[in-house]
Amino acid sequence: MGVSNSMAAGQRVLPRYDSKDQYRYPAFMPSSADRTVKSFDPAEFVIPTAKQEDWRYAPLERIGEFFEPFRPSGETQVRLSFLDGSGAVSAGSDASVSFERASRSDPLPGSVGKPADRAAALEWDCVQQIYALDVHRDLDQPLLLNVRGTGEDLDALHVAVRFDPGVHATLVIDHRGLARLSEGFEISVGENAVANVISIQEWDAGAKHLGSQRIRVDRSGRLNHSVVTLSGGVVRLRMDPDFGGPDGYLNMLGVYFVDPGEYVEHRTMVVHNHPSCTSRVVYKGALNGKDARSAWVGNALILPQASQTDSYELNRNLVLMPGAVAESEPQLEIENGNIVGAGHASSVGRFDDGQLFYMRSRGIPESAARKLVVHGFFSELVEEIGIPAVSEHLMATIDRRLAMEED
Amino acid sequence: MSVLEITDLRAGVETNDGRKEILKGASLTIKSGEIHAIMGPNGSGKSTLAYTLAGHPKYEVDGGRALLDGQDLLAMTPDERARAGLFLAMQYPVEIPGVSMTNFLRTAVTQVSGQTPKLRDWTKELNIAMKRLRMDPKFARRSTNEGFSGGEKKRAEVLQLELLKPKFAILDETDSGLDVDALRIVSEGVNRAHKNTGCGILLITHYTRILKYIKPDFVHVFAGGHFVKTGGPELADELEETGYDRYLPEGSTESALA
Ligand SMILES: Nc1ncnc2c1ncn2[C@@H]1O[C@H](COP(=O)(O)OP(=O)(O)OP(=O)(O)O)[C@@H](O)[C@H]1O
Ligand SMILES: [Mg+2]
Repeated sequence: MGVSNSMAAGQRVLPRYDSKDQYRYPAFMPSSADRTVKSFDPAEFVIPTAKQEDWRYAPLERIGEFFEPFRPSGETQVRLSFLDGSGAVSAGSDASVSFERASRSDPLPGSVGKPADRAAALEWDCVQQIYALDVHRDLDQPLLLNVRGTGEDLDALHVAVRFDPGVHATLVIDHRGLARLSEGFEISVGENAVANVISIQEWDAGAKHLGSQRIRVDRSGRLNHSVVTLSGGVVRLRMDPDFGGPDGYLNMLGVYFVDPGEYVEHRTMVVHNHPSCTSRVVYKGALNGKDARSAWVGNALILPQASQTDSYELNRNLVLMPGAVAESEPQLEIENGNIVGAGHASSVGRFDDGQLFYMRSRGIPESAARKLVVHGFFSELVEEIGIPAVSEHLMATIDRRLAMEED
Repeated sequence: MSVLEITDLRAGVETNDGRKEILKGASLTIKSGEIHAIMGPNGSGKSTLAYTLAGHPKYEVDGGRALLDGQDLLAMTPDERARAGLFLAMQYPVEIPGVSMTNFLRTAVTQVSGQTPKLRDWTKELNIAMKRLRMDPKFARRSTNEGFSGGEKKRAEVLQLELLKPKFAILDETDSGLDVDALRIVSEGVNRAHKNTGCGILLITHYTRILKYIKPDFVHVFAGGHFVKTGGPELADELEETGYDRYLPEGSTESALA
C-alpha cells in the first residue's frame, strides 16, 4: 500500500498520514492505489453497481453476464499473421516471434499486474484460451492478431504479449465479428524496446466486449499504444499501464466513433511508479447520432517515488447530432511535488445547426460538411497512429458511416 | 446576364411566444452588375431577408417568391442555392473548429465550381487572394473563423466572395466593426469581385462611409419587414441627415413595432 511502502528505513521520524489533517503531507494521502482492489480472486470484487466509481457510466443492465462465473464458449477464433499478408506466423517458435497456447502457470500469463475489476478477475478465473506472444527480434512488418467472434455465447480470451529488450515491433489487434467477449491482455515492453500496439474494435452490431489491458513498460522502453473503436453494441476497455523502471515512455492514443444505440467506454489508468517516465494520453471521439453514448475516464497517478514524471492526458468529444451523450472525466493524483508536468484537458463540443448552415451556404452539402468536420477533428491523431493501412481503413470506415446518415 | 427577383416575400420564425412575422412582403429585382444598398433601422428584418434568401432553416417562408434566373430559390436547399450562384457574407460569421480555412474553402470551391482545384494551384490562388486582402497566410492553416477578430472574420467573408465567384452576393453589414484601413481593403475586395465577375451586389449597411468606396446604383430603405423607398445614392445622404423616423408609423420605433 502506498503509505507503508514509502516509509524508508532511517533514524528520522518520517511524516505519517493523519486522516484528521489529510492535506498536511500530500504525498501520504491515501490514493486510488490504496483504495483500489487488485486481485486474481473474483470474490474480492463485489458485483458492479452504478454507485461504484468504475461502473457509473456503463449500461450494467446490458452486461450483467460478465459479472458471474461462466463457462467460456471457446468459439472465439484467434489467428496471428503479418499485416501485409506475407504468410501466417505459425504456432510454435521461429527465430523472431513465438506464439503459443499457454496456461496460467506459464511464465508470461499473469506476470503483468493483477485484475482491477470483477470482470477481469472472472476472465482470468475461467479462461481456457490463453496465448503467449513473444517478440524476440525486430520486425519490419507489423504483426496482425485477428480476434474473431462467432456468436452470442459468452467467451473468454487471454493474451500475454511480450516485447523482448531492445526489439522494435508493431502489433495490430483486430477485433471483428459478433461476440460476447471477456478479454484480458497483458503487454510488457522490455528495456529499450520500442513497441507499437494498436487495438481495433470493429465488431458487428450488438457485440459486447469487456476488455482489460495491463501494460508495463520497462526501463527506457517506449510503447505507442493506440485504441481504435469503430463499432460494437457495448465496448468497454480498461487500460492499466505502469512502469518497470525509470525513463519509460508511454504514448496512448484513442479514436472512437459511436453510432446510435452503441456504448463505448475507455479508461486509461496510468500509474507512474518509477522516476523520469513520460506518459501522454490523447483520446478523441465522435458521436454520430441520437442515443450514441461514450465515456472516457483517464487517471494519472503519480506515486511518491515517481520524481521527474511528465504526464499529460486529453480527451475531446465531438457530438455530431443532438441526443448523443459523451462523458469525459480526467483525473490526476499527484503525490510527488518534484515533477516535470502533469496536465489534463477535456471537452465536449457540438457540431451545431449554425455551423452546418454556414458550410451549406458555401455550397457544401450536409454529408460533405460533416465529413469535413470529422476529418478535421481526427486527422492529426489518426496520422499519429502511424500505420497507413490502419489510418486509411479508419477514415474510410468513418466516411462510409457518415454517408449512411444521409438515407 | 442574371436576374434575382424577389416578390412579396413573407417569412417569420417560431418563438416561445408563438409565431413572429418578420418579412411582410418584400419585393426587389436586381440584375448582374448592379449594386444595391439596403439601409434600415435595427430589427427591421434586413438580416432575416438575407438568411431567408440563403435558406437558413430557422426562417420559415409564408409566401412570395425568389427566383434566380427563373429558378425557384425557395425550393432549394442552402447548398443548392449557393451552387446556383447565391452568396451571403454573414453579419456574424460562424466558427468551425477543426476545419482549416484552406480545406473549407477548397471544398466550397469544388462544390460551387464543380471542379477540384489542383492542390498546388489552389494553394497559390488562396495565397494571392489573401495577400490582396492583407491577410496573413497563416490564417489558411487556422480553423475557419475560430478566434478571428471581428474585422478578420469580415475579411475572411470577402475572401470567400472572391474565391466562390457567385452571381449575386448579399453582404450583411460587412462594413461593421472595421477600422478605416480595413474598410478600404474590404471595399476594394468587393469592388474587385464585382468588376471581375460582374456579380450583382446587395449591400446591407448602416453607414454611408462604405458607400464612398462601393458606389451603389440604388439605395433602398427597409423598414417594418419590407422595402419602403427606393432612390439613387443621394438617398443615403438624406437618411444620414434625417434618420428613419419618417418611414415609421407616428410615435413608434422599430423595436416597439416588433
Ligand atoms: N431566430 C429568431 N428568433 C426570434 N426573433 C428573431 C429571430 N431572428 C430575428 N428575430 C427578430 O426579428 C427582427 C428582425 O431581425 P433582423 O436580424 O432581421 O433585423 P436587422 O434588420 O438585420 O437588424 P440589425 O440592423 O440590428 O442587424 C428582430 O426583432 C429580431 O429580434
Ligand atoms: Mg442584421
